[in-house]
Amino acid sequence: MARYGMALDYKNCINCKACEVACKEENGILMGADKHRIWVGVKEIKGEYPLLDIVSSSFEPSQCQHCESAPCQEVCPTNATYYDENGVVRVDPDKCILCSYCMNACPYDARYVDDRTMTVDKCNFCSDTRLARGETTTACQATCPTKVRTFGDLDDPESEISILLRTREHFSLKSHLGTKPKLFYLT
Amino acid sequence: MQVELSRRKFLQGTVALSVAGGSAISATNLFAGADTPEKKLSITTKTGTAKEVKLVPTLCEMCVNKCAAIARVEDGIVTKLDPNPMFPKSKNMLCPRGNAGIQALYDPDRLKYPMIRTGEKGEGKFKRVTWDEAFRYITEKTVKILDEEEDNRSTFLFCAGEGMAEHTFQTFYQAFGSSNWLNHSSICLQTVASAYGVTLGAYPQSDLENAEYIIMAGANRAEAIVTPDTMDIFKRTKGRGAKMVCIDPRFTNTAAKADQWLAINPGTDLAFVLALTYVVLDEELYDKAYVEKYFNDFETYRSHILSNGYTPEWAEPITNIRAKEIYQIAREFMAHAPKAIYYPGRRSTFAKSDFQLRRAMAIFQALSGGIDTKGGLVFGGKIEIEGHESLMPLYDKAKERGVVKTEAGYADCAVVSGGGSWLAWRNNFLEGKMPYSVRGMFCYKHNPMQNMPNTKKTAEMLKKMELVVCIDTMPSDTVMYADVVLPECTYLERTDPVKTFGGTEPALAQRNKVVEPMFESKPVNEILRGLTKHLSRPLFEVTKKYDTEVQDALREEDEEAYYEEEFDMTKMYSHDQEVLNTHAVHAHEGAAEALKKYGVYYPKMDQYYKQLSANEHQYYPEKEKFYSVGEGRPQTPSGKVECNLANMSSKGIDGMPTWREEYRFSVPEGKFRLMTGRHAQYTQSGTSNNIVLHDLMPENYIWINKRVAKERGIAFGDKVEVASSTGKTVIRAYPTEKIAPNQVFFIHGFGAESSALTWAYKNGGSDNAVIEDVVEPVYGAAAMHETNVEIRKV
Repeated sequence: MARYGMALDYKNCINCKACEVACKEENGILMGADKHRIWVGVKEIKGEYPLLDIVSSSFEPSQCQHCESAPCQEVCPTNATYYDENGVVRVDPDKCILCSYCMNACPYDARYVDDRTMTVDKCNFCSDTRLARGETTTACQATCPTKVRTFGDLDDPESEISILLRTREHFSLKSHLGTKPKLFYLT
Repeated sequence: MQVELSRRKFLQGTVALSVAGGSAISATNLFAGADTPEKKLSITTKTGTAKEVKLVPTLCEMCVNKCAAIARVEDGIVTKLDPNPMFPKSKNMLCPRGNAGIQALYDPDRLKYPMIRTGEKGEGKFKRVTWDEAFRYITEKTVKILDEEEDNRSTFLFCAGEGMAEHTFQTFYQAFGSSNWLNHSSICLQTVASAYGVTLGAYPQSDLENAEYIIMAGANRAEAIVTPDTMDIFKRTKGRGAKMVCIDPRFTNTAAKADQWLAINPGTDLAFVLALTYVVLDEELYDKAYVEKYFNDFETYRSHILSNGYTPEWAEPITNIRAKEIYQIAREFMAHAPKAIYYPGRRSTFAKSDFQLRRAMAIFQALSGGIDTKGGLVFGGKIEIEGHESLMPLYDKAKERGVVKTEAGYADCAVVSGGGSWLAWRNNFLEGKMPYSVRGMFCYKHNPMQNMPNTKKTAEMLKKMELVVCIDTMPSDTVMYADVVLPECTYLERTDPVKTFGGTEPALAQRNKVVEPMFESKPVNEILRGLTKHLSRPLFEVTKKYDTEVQDALREEDEEAYYEEEFDMTKMYSHDQEVLNTHAVHAHEGAAEALKKYGVYYPKMDQYYKQLSANEHQYYPEKEKFYSVGEGRPQTPSGKVECNLANMSSKGIDGMPTWREEYRFSVPEGKFRLMTGRHAQYTQSGTSNNIVLHDLMPENYIWINKRVAKERGIAFGDKVEVASSTGKTVIRAYPTEKIAPNQVFFIHGFGAESSALTWAYKNGGSDNAVIEDVVEPVYGAAAMHETNVEIRKV
């Protein structure tokens, strides 16, 4: 029993996409640009050459927020989307009927369709791969060249993530929606 | 803070591939069957579903950096590559290409069997043969040519790409006795490595973990072949301990991570550095004690800079960087010295002035005293290992390297280094200027068709060669011109020579074989073992026929013993790599075992190495790190920073960095300066057929200024033709404000012409089809950013 979350030192991100490949290789994800469990968001730069706004071009590494109050779980008619014992938002492919309500409900655009199983898939913090065999990092955290991510148990006050969140300022995405995300962006 | 999160919007323009079924690649999908691309592949494998799991430490070969990785092998299949945290150089990272290494192993297009050409050169028609047939064919042709050329061994060219086994191949070249060796240097780091070498005595590393101020000029460290030694800086910019100034004509990802970005005119960095130097000398901001102790010809250099009037005001119109910013940077740099770094760079040559630019940078750095010191440029320590056995017989009839000489020296460049000048060599060969005929070539892990400017000329060269032997893993554009193709196994299928990595935290690392070689591929060591078994004795017979010195010797010596001692090439390859590696590190107790078990070894690793957090590790305690190995002393023979190179002056090269009007940036109206570069998701042409990387970036796009594109009616994704005096290529457009109106840019390595490459074939544009062959004057490097192009919507 744990309450897993992730802190992202997002200013470190150089948009190399090592995390995307590591995720695909670890979890056996399909090829295709719309099949990412994890991604790096990029914004169009502001200004005209050479007067460009250097802060407008930032990289936003992201994935499922594992909300404590997840809209995708609320709308799922078959309970295919559920919270596992570690607070990870999971999908049971046997129950999923591909109604895609969850895809519309997710404010973070974190879900996609796996064409093999014809069910909705998403990040599960490597729960059925790395965590299942006792590892303590996700594939995206381990591989990152600039060490953006720290994964861990929010309920353990001595965990690295808990210490980080106590000592560093951070924010969550779209916090006004009341979804209580468990991805924290360190400032 | 508002964060936009539409990944689908961001991903527009990328192509989704349809994939399904299967796990490993099909053994029936052979090279010859590539006419109908088999794109329905299940590429990735979910980990943790197998019975038998093995973890093997190895070293990555997706680029030159050799990051340490741990391969997860499940029931004999490599399912995952993870970073190996124990290697100080790569510090627990694996970039996207490193992660995609599995696909290099399971690429359905890889070379599987030895082959002999049946069609025209370049056509890609081959027949499968046995290893013995291939070796016999090579032997027959080689003996015939050498017999006709009366044992002039230099009749054969040897060329190789960078890699851990490059040296193994080089021992073959040395024993063969040719003088014509070309490697990647002149299309890579030659000018920067040599300029720092002659100025400071070595090409130093940058202590970006401790530097407080960094000038990152013409170095796109966030993208170009993501290098592990430069990742530290990205954790410290933006008000987190270090200030980074990015100088680049384009707004790159590195610019996005910098604290200040200045758009410089392409090829004018030398003027920028000279102006920085002017400020430092004029305002006496330099480290006087360091200069006093460690500079040669300081006064000469000082008066050269000051009397030439290299002021920031002078540099402003040349560089397009405002004078006040040059003043600011020079002053800030020196205020932070010696914890300030002008990053030396690790890229190919862009402009003809590159050697002088690097010299000026090295001297500017030295003026700060930031040499061989924490937070500055460092030489670092190194662990000694023993070299490999080699054989260097003397062939009396072998002629010296094929270069064109003049009274003053060489016709093409001032210095011909060990790696030679690829462009000059190729062009002399084509223009019939070689002092003797070169008729055959052995090419190892090298793709001259795509790696150097003017593809048409390279194709001509390959067509003219009577025997082209390619050892490679992939059916590259160059392999299409081969007479004989020898399939090497990928890096995950072989143990390579153990390597020593110097730096502040030196270590040894070893690439261990993860799985057995697939198909009939072999490591180069075993390929050469087989080849020399066939080739060695018949070649000796040719020597006996023409070499009077050998004939004389044989009158007195026993032939068998003499041959074995001096000419038997097979003995270099008689041992397996594992045995050679154990021997190489035998002076270090426990090293051989550690290298097999952990992939990494350094003295006291068992005491020093520890995990500090989930992401961080200690390799050496702070006080044991090799920040300073000579108390700041440059490693030149004189022990001084060399400001003035008199021997260069005698060759017509500026002895001190000097601005020349010909270096000025200008583009004729209506044309664009073409720039090329590298990317985090691709290394070179060698990774362009990797399906997972292809998935991240399906093709390359040409950057063109948004306003200019609009004027010309070019929208995102439109196809444009890029043309120069060299040739043309077609590529899709990416209009952006990140580039100047008179410049265009695209990533190198795309636009392959080999139809045996399912994903790379005719995918995107090829830079070297367009780049003109401009030879840099000092080392004969290819100057990649000297070409103006025309753009036309097609």
